[in-house]
Amino acid sequence: MKVPMSWLRDYVRTDATTEQIAAALSVSTAEVNGIDRRGVPGDLSLFRVGHVLEAEKHPNADRLQLTKVDVGEAVLQIVCGAWNFGAGAKVAVALPGATLPNGLTLERRKLRGEVSEGMILAEDEVDLGTDHNGIMLLDDALAPGMPLGDVLPLVEEVLDVEATGNRPDLLSVYGLAREVAALFDGELVPLDDAEPGRAGDETVNVQIDDYAGCPRYVGRLFRGVGIGESPVWLKARLRAAGVRAISNVVDVTNYVMLALGNPLHVFDFDTLHGGRVVVRRAGPGEQLRTLDGTLRALDPRDLLIADADRAIALAGIMGGEETEVTESTTNVLLEAANFEPIGILGSSERLALRTEGSNRWEKGVDPHLAGPAATLATRMLVELSGARWVGAADVQGELPERAVIELRPERVTAVLGLDVPDQEAILERIGFERVGDGYRVPTWRARDVTREIDLVEEVARFRMGEIPFTLPRRDATFGRLTRWQRLRRVAEDALVGCGFSEAYTPTFVADGDYRLPEPLSSEAAALRTALVPSLVEAARQNVAWGNSEIALFEIARVYPHGDGGLPDERWHVAGVVEGGIADVAWTVEQLYSSLAVTPAVEEGDEQLLHPGKGARTAEGWFGELHPSLLDGAWGAFELDLDALAAAAPEALTYTDVSPFPEVHQDLAFVVGDDVPAAALVAAMLDAGAPELRDARVFDEYRGAQVGEGKRSLAVRVAFGSPERTLTDAEASAARSRIVESLASRFGAVLRT
Amino acid sequence: MDPDGLRDEALAAVAAAETLPALDEARVAYLGRKSPLKLALREVRDRESGMALNAVREAIEAAVAGKQEQLEGAELEARLATERVDVTLPPELLGSVRPRRRGTLHPSTQVRRDVEDIFLGLGYEVVDGREVETTRYNFDALGFPDWHPSRSPRASLYLDDETVLRTETSPAQIHKMESTRPPIYMVSIGRVYRRDTIDATHFPIFHQFEGLAIDKGITMADLKGTLLYVMQQLYGPERQVRFRTHYFPFTEPSMEPDVSCFACGGAGCSICKHSGWIEMGGSGMVDPYLYEFVGWGPEEYTGFAFGMGIERTAQLRHGIPGVRPFWDNDLRLLRQFR
Ligand SMILES: [Zn+2]
Repeated sequence: MKVPMSWLRDYVRTDATTEQIAAALSVSTAEVNGIDRRGVPGDLSLFRVGHVLEAEKHPNADRLQLTKVDVGEAVLQIVCGAWNFGAGAKVAVALPGATLPNGLTLERRKLRGEVSEGMILAEDEVDLGTDHNGIMLLDDALAPGMPLGDVLPLVEEVLDVEATGNRPDLLSVYGLAREVAALFDGELVPLDDAEPGRAGDETVNVQIDDYAGCPRYVGRLFRGVGIGESPVWLKARLRAAGVRAISNVVDVTNYVMLALGNPLHVFDFDTLHGGRVVVRRAGPGEQLRTLDGTLRALDPRDLLIADADRAIALAGIMGGEETEVTESTTNVLLEAANFEPIGILGSSERLALRTEGSNRWEKGVDPHLAGPAATLATRMLVELSGARWVGAADVQGELPERAVIELRPERVTAVLGLDVPDQEAILERIGFERVGDGYRVPTWRARDVTREIDLVEEVARFRMGEIPFTLPRRDATFGRLTRWQRLRRVAEDALVGCGFSEAYTPTFVADGDYRLPEPLSSEAAALRTALVPSLVEAARQNVAWGNSEIALFEIARVYPHGDGGLPDERWHVAGVVEGGIADVAWTVEQLYSSLAVTPAVEEGDEQLLHPGKGARTAEGWFGELHPSLLDGAWGAFELDLDALAAAAPEALTYTDVSPFPEVHQDLAFVVGDDVPAAALVAAMLDAGAPELRDARVFDEYRGAQVGEGKRSLAVRVAFGSPERTLTDAEASAARSRIVESLASRFGAVLRT
Repeated sequence: MDPDGLRDEALAAVAAAETLPALDEARVAYLGRKSPLKLALREVRDRESGMALNAVREAIEAAVAGKQEQLEGAELEARLATERVDVTLPPELLGSVRPRRRGTLHPSTQVRRDVEDIFLGLGYEVVDGREVETTRYNFDALGFPDWHPSRSPRASLYLDDETVLRTETSPAQIHKMESTRPPIYMVSIGRVYRRDTIDATHFPIFHQFEGLAIDKGITMADLKGTLLYVMQQLYGPERQVRFRTHYFPFTEPSMEPDVSCFACGGAGCSICKHSGWIEMGGSGMVDPYLYEFVGWGPEEYTGFAFGMGIERTAQLRHGIPGVRPFWDNDLRLLRQFR
């Protein structure tokens, strides 16, 4: 909310500066995002009230006037382009040397041959409005030479206050004034509750059919309303508060809303069928054309203001076009009501229609505010539009009782860690009344303050800076990562060591087991079930940026279908690397090794992979990326990190290092091309046990010597025993078992 | 001539083509310059038969294009099948493994580890709950009132009426409270979601770290002291912390912590928006409502909670502008974070 300081200071007397007020509000009440300094930037003494002594047509220009203006100590000649005044008018004058809000500094200069010593001001020239059709006409009673700043808000400081959703009372200048008064021990000026005289006793016909939606409706009827422009001071305040001036009657409703926080509405009374208003829910198929020109289909949950026949306003949100106050309106019905927040919020969301009014109602406005709001609006309407107030109605359901909440002083200390002996004074300054062991909650805080802890907060926010800095006193401390968290760090570090940089890619993809009913986009419509597609996209972008040696990994969740409505969230680790099958196979081997897991590699047929270069392990898959996905050769892997962590040994057990030397031999077998190397090695370890300690393929050969459809695999083996040195006979017996086993299982032939 | 007959004949011929040359032959026969269709089109005089013949032409062209894609795909698959390698071989036999420059941890992960270590030092455990939550845990348990804007599908990402992508990591805290009695000292770190349109400063996903301490006799002073320590660990020992009142559904009283600007030392600069202070997130005393939600007495314990952004922390520490760089995965950026 934008709060002009001149307005705020109407309601609170304090010596505190604008900066002090902004700082204190930020800490204790609501954040002040900034102070906007508007209006005349320089020397204010150069702006005066002027008395026009003479005004004639400029001798050399038909569209200009040549005037003589008394500005106090001198009479100046000023050339002026406006014609809405003549001799005798009181006007606003800027003297030579004055700087206008737009940065222009005035000089004494000749205009069409005549000297002009300053400028007679229109409202837009001093940022008080948008009108440039004529100059501002001031009150005739003002004395020439008076400082103009005493008459018009030539300078304004505007606070940008961001109230939290629980404090609708702060969406008003008066509500903020109350806080400022409490913060600086200033005087809060009481609201003037004097009603202007009634000029009639007409019946105002108001009927509430839905007290749950509308606990209170104050209706007031005005006749002989003169629709016109608002005075400059009012337009200036609205402008500084960020609200556009429209006409005196509409401006009054906006002014009262900003001043007190209670949104108002006005109807052209002559357009109301039956001359009455009914507050009710929408009927089936009912429609309303709102002020913005949109025809809106209503829902039976929408609360309406209706007349005898039809909807005339969306309660609390926006008025209807057919009953709008226009230039030709003479009779006005003023609405100062109270609406229940949740219903307004629902309608506002359903219709995607948010207004200054709905923004306040949906947070809960004090129902006791309707009275003061109606009073202030009535006074202003009578004063500014010459209207006669001829009738009133105040229909109310049961308004909530003011709650009394107990507060134990020691509870404040227990929560804050600070004694606050003057807590009663703090609470009373913001409207709480001491009753026995507790406090009666002011009506404007009834929704927000309902429990003792809420009172504790009220005390706390005024002692924010005094609360000391301590640490919890603890009997015991247990700070450690879980095993899984430690293994995640190991996996991250292993991949970084393999040359992979870590990527963070979005959770959302085009398709998955769980779809968003309202997708972010067609490409972000579901929760992913794999990481590699997102990493492929990241790699593609890196290629486009011209980056080289691309290697990316990610550790993140995937969201496959799970039991009980929620996905089975699992952690995956995945990577994409420029290179090929060898690079990714090596990386996967390093990753497994970092977690002390031996992968059981088999051929696989993952869709994202090259059909001849895909591998599967118990925890996932790796291989060469399918060439249709990225140009060139790329490797990719995706593993279930939860499964991998589960496979990692909880503890490693020491095995004695054998003091007896091992016998190393190289064995080469010719086998069919379809026998995987890993299967051959597994069979060897199986058949050669216990003497065979290790076997690793170190060469693969294809060619004429081994024949079509076959290959030779050379394996380095190590025979040994923890108890003694093996004899040649023992080693060759083990070797024979291996050769026989491979021959019978795979038709393998030992090359000699 | 009979357009339908011609169309059926051509489609059959296209379907029958088993190789790319055979397909090309069919294309020439039915769409080529001298094909009966093209000759007939040249002879057309009336609008109706012209439209009929053009429809036939379009149907055949579509069939040819579809078949071509299919045959090319099959050809690629056939070629790939001949490139088969034994993936069970040791990596060094699958090709040459190129040495690589060491990679880097993402700046968000680096912050995550620092945050973990700071809280481990304070005796906290690290927890990450699930990301897809029920509205009961994400909103109801945390005391979000009906009007709270976060409940709106325009602010949060729902899977259905009762399921939402968590909007903060706090549901993990409720799960923890349900499973164990205090003392609880935990920090939860992970992805959270908001319905945001992607621009320089918004992304629908970000990472939070949220702390929770519940014990006998915990005070707001303890919250202030803890955050002062954490901020000094993250941003330097000279940092000061101040608190501003705020509103959050699950804390009462609620405060926003600010840290004194480390760029200007408090004098005012663009980083601190000329205030000397930088906003850090949210905090407050655990609302007694939460204790009742998990079945404890409202005054058996007191506790505090706070939440901050991982990306924001990384932005402030490294001067990274906006949030897009965190999701671009541009190696030129990532490789700076060694
Ligand atoms: Zn700064």
